[in-house]
Amino acid sequence: MEKSLLKLDKGTTCTSWNYSGDRLASGSVDGTLAVFDLRHPASSSFACTSRTKVDEGSIVKIVWVPPEYGDAVACVCEDGTFSLWEELTEDSLPVQWKLCERFKSSSAKVLDVQFGVSPSSLKMAEFQNVIDLVSPSSKTLCLSASISWNPLRGEGQGSSFVLGFSSDSPQLTSSKVWEFDRAHQRWLPVAEMALPDDRGDQVHGVAWAPNIGRPYEVIAVATEKGISIWHLSLNVEVDGRLSVEKVASLSGHEGEVWQMEWDMSGMTLATTASDGTVKLWQSNLKGSWQEQATFVPT
Amino acid sequence: MPGAASDSGGGGSAGAGALVPLSSETKQSPVYPLRHSVGPPVSPRVSVCWARGSSLRVSIFQQQSPSCGEGDVGGEVVEVKLSGGDGEISDAQWRRIAYGSMSPFAMLQSRRNSVSTLSRISPSPYHVDWWEFVMEYSKDINALLGSPRSTPASVIEDPKTVLKKSEKPTSLKAAWELMELFYADKLSQAWLPERLIDWLADYDSLFSGSCATVHSKLVDFQNELINIQVIEDNPRYWEVIGSALAVGWLEIVVKLLHLHGSYQLDQLSSRETESGLVEAVAVLISRMPRMRLELGDGRLGECYKAKPDFIKAWEKWRAQITKMDCSAYWIQCNHLQTREGLKNLLQIMLGNTNSLSSATYHWLELYVSHFLYVRPFTVGLESMHGLAQKCIQLKPVPRSQKLMGLLLGILGENTEVVLAECSKQFGPWMVAHAIELMTAGSDEAESLLCEEHYNLGELSIQELHRLVYAQVLSSHAFTWQIAPVYLTSCMKQGMGLLEILLCKQPVQHNELLHKNLEICRLYELDSVSSHIMKIAGVHHWKHGRKGAGVFWLQQARDEFRLHKIAQQLFASVGKSISDESFKQWEGLIELLGSESKTAGGLEFLHKYRDFKRSLKHIHDGKSIEAAQQAVESLMLLMKNPSTPQRFWLPLLYDSLKLINWQDRPVLNVTQTNLLLNRLQELSIARLRPDFVEADLPSQALSAVRLALATNLGRAILEE
Repeated sequence: MEKSLLKLDKGTTCTSWNYSGDRLASGSVDGTLAVFDLRHPASSSFACTSRTKVDEGSIVKIVWVPPEYGDAVACVCEDGTFSLWEELTEDSLPVQWKLCERFKSSSAKVLDVQFGVSPSSLKMAEFQNVIDLVSPSSKTLCLSASISWNPLRGEGQGSSFVLGFSSDSPQLTSSKVWEFDRAHQRWLPVAEMALPDDRGDQVHGVAWAPNIGRPYEVIAVATEKGISIWHLSLNVEVDGRLSVEKVASLSGHEGEVWQMEWDMSGMTLATTASDGTVKLWQSNLKGSWQEQATFVPT
Repeated sequence: MPGAASDSGGGGSAGAGALVPLSSETKQSPVYPLRHSVGPPVSPRVSVCWARGSSLRVSIFQQQSPSCGEGDVGGEVVEVKLSGGDGEISDAQWRRIAYGSMSPFAMLQSRRNSVSTLSRISPSPYHVDWWEFVMEYSKDINALLGSPRSTPASVIEDPKTVLKKSEKPTSLKAAWELMELFYADKLSQAWLPERLIDWLADYDSLFSGSCATVHSKLVDFQNELINIQVIEDNPRYWEVIGSALAVGWLEIVVKLLHLHGSYQLDQLSSRETESGLVEAVAVLISRMPRMRLELGDGRLGECYKAKPDFIKAWEKWRAQITKMDCSAYWIQCNHLQTREGLKNLLQIMLGNTNSLSSATYHWLELYVSHFLYVRPFTVGLESMHGLAQKCIQLKPVPRSQKLMGLLLGILGENTEVVLAECSKQFGPWMVAHAIELMTAGSDEAESLLCEEHYNLGELSIQELHRLVYAQVLSSHAFTWQIAPVYLTSCMKQGMGLLEILLCKQPVQHNELLHKNLEICRLYELDSVSSHIMKIAGVHHWKHGRKGAGVFWLQQARDEFRLHKIAQQLFASVGKSISDESFKQWEGLIELLGSESKTAGGLEFLHKYRDFKRSLKHIHDGKSIEAAQQAVESLMLLMKNPSTPQRFWLPLLYDSLKLINWQDRPVLNVTQTNLLLNRLQELSIARLRPDFVEADLPSQALSAVRLALATNLGRAILEE
């Protein structure tokens, strides 16, 4: 049974919940960032606690910064810039959201932002340097990009992420897993999640499932042909690459897949698409992935 | 895996979890409507986010169009909990069950661990009756599932009250007792049919919703009872007696028989034969041999434990019935209904299948009647299953009944079906807890449930369901603290999920934070607790609660951030700050202590704080002792090699007032010379490329130089 949690302002285009699920940041078409909090700790109804104008144009995506850096969000705007806003109390002023940093580049448009955490710093992945690595000379036209960090929290492990594009260059488009090579201080692709025939498929979304103890990683990739689930082995092979295996091809959504989210155990995948429905997918004991439920807003 | 399935009748309610391991055929997945109040046009782009556990939050937006009304909402966020409860059980009741079942479960796990440790150390002398522990576990949980049952037998003041009013039982309790009966209760294994008869006596009322049952007929008859004058004329009287006898509710039968009109005092003389016959039948009934260990108090029948004894008694009893059937007294009985009714009872007792069939209403009742009168020495699940199949063909199966599938799965010894039914009908709680019974009761079940599957990431089904249940517990604010008990019993992936669960808890509120840290400590999750403390520290710091922030960061031993804070404190050096901020600054330095490794200059900060304090005392420009003290501190600071060079000028600038002391020069020649030398060093240092200019007004240097020079002059004059 569904329960209404809160009502959004007019013109809202995107929302994002923080790590613990008790704060919601929403962005609207006029560039306003509104933050909703629980009215009091024991209640389950939310109220808007602040509205800040962050940009002139529309906000396209909001991403919360990992909590060990405070309460902050990154707002990606329509014009390809993004800015970091933080909630602070300074001296005797009331709590407000302040701008930390604005990232603007004349040559590149920011397509997506996600935060990964390493012990000493916050890594944000924008796409400029990655694009340069892949196709330094030719000009490629990228419509969108999707990135997902490996959500592990271990202190001693390196970070890695998976990245896929929707572009006109097949080499760029296919989803790849990147790992940081400390020796050379740069990011290297270590696995490619596309079958040889499917390399040119436009990638609409990627999602890396939290691993609570499996001997392999699970990554979901949404392309124009549907959603595919890949297993990424944890053992590094001789050439430094990791082996991948495609374990399922899921179809069911009519239309382009917008968003894919894994639950906290990494066993259920929730997806939304341009047909306006939400679908849930799970694997059964035999390893076959099936659609478990569909939700249709009415 | 918390799926959503089995919509229990409309309204888009997501039913119990649906990991159905056996169905590999693709079936259409259920579609649920999500009601919301966003006016049209609704944007097809919806956003999802998982909240803790297995709740899904869906953001629905309104599409931008000029036709949107002014009062419309721009969008809405709805939350769906994917493990929606049993319709029969309220939320509060469910929470009570969840809380209460935690300790029996934990106890069982710890016993299991100690048993396996013992068996590893010394294999033979400790013969542990594992099933006794399981029975204790089962009974503890059963006690949570509803008020104690009462037998349908009644000994009450009002002789006309046949059925005792008892609290309505729940399917969950019925299901649990079935599981206990077949899997955990080793003592009863030899008397399964009799136990099933008892079970039906308790729970027949559950089936009344979907078809006629003996229980419902009894209830109806009881309601009519007040209005009936001559009870033995009423055909329904004889019907209910027959039905109650068929399912073995002997006490009710005898009570009903004693309501027969021929017992009334004024009738006794004229209806002797009748009452004699009725009494004879009643006595026969009360002496019925039963193949079971014992009968409760007030219950009728005679128990036999050993088969040969039972058979002898059975044959004797049947001979008595046959003899009675052929008796001459029947002709003398004038009352037609009595004669026919009693004869019917005798036929039932003789195991006449037609009589049994007409006396019972659904297949379970027919089933137990067979155990009572046709094949009382049925043993073994296989033959029980065969009989069940036959009965199902003869009598209706109650529709939409949660227990049917479960019972058939158990009788068929089909572990997968049992698991699927538990999951579909009763939810993740049932599966997680009933698996303990199944693994104890059946070797086949144990091997199936404990086998590790690569496809699940090398999890066994047992562990999988515990994880699922823990995830369900995490979705609710009141039950998330129970989840660790279940997670820590999962060897493979439990700790991983526990870490994620703990890291997702909010830190703003102290009780929750302490609870969280308590759990971390209990399970030795140091990295998680320092992570949480780090988040708390940063949160408090950024929201103005600097003291709390520093405290938590110190607890987390987050040197990196503490160093950054120390750096911020350094920034206040040389600046004139308000009293209020000074106090805060002082307090922070106290908190930071001087032991921090990376913030090596903390010692300096302490000294600087002392200096600042003494500077405060010289505001009025009068007290010379205070001034001297300030001078002492200043010299200490300037002489100390640990004072970073970049602070020399700020320090001196701070002490301008001191140096420009009106009455007399406070610094003597040596001191002034030292300070001037320092200034000189500073000027040279400024020429170096990596020099960092202090944030002071541009004439600071010259002001200080002037002050020092003046002081020097006066000091020399004094000496």
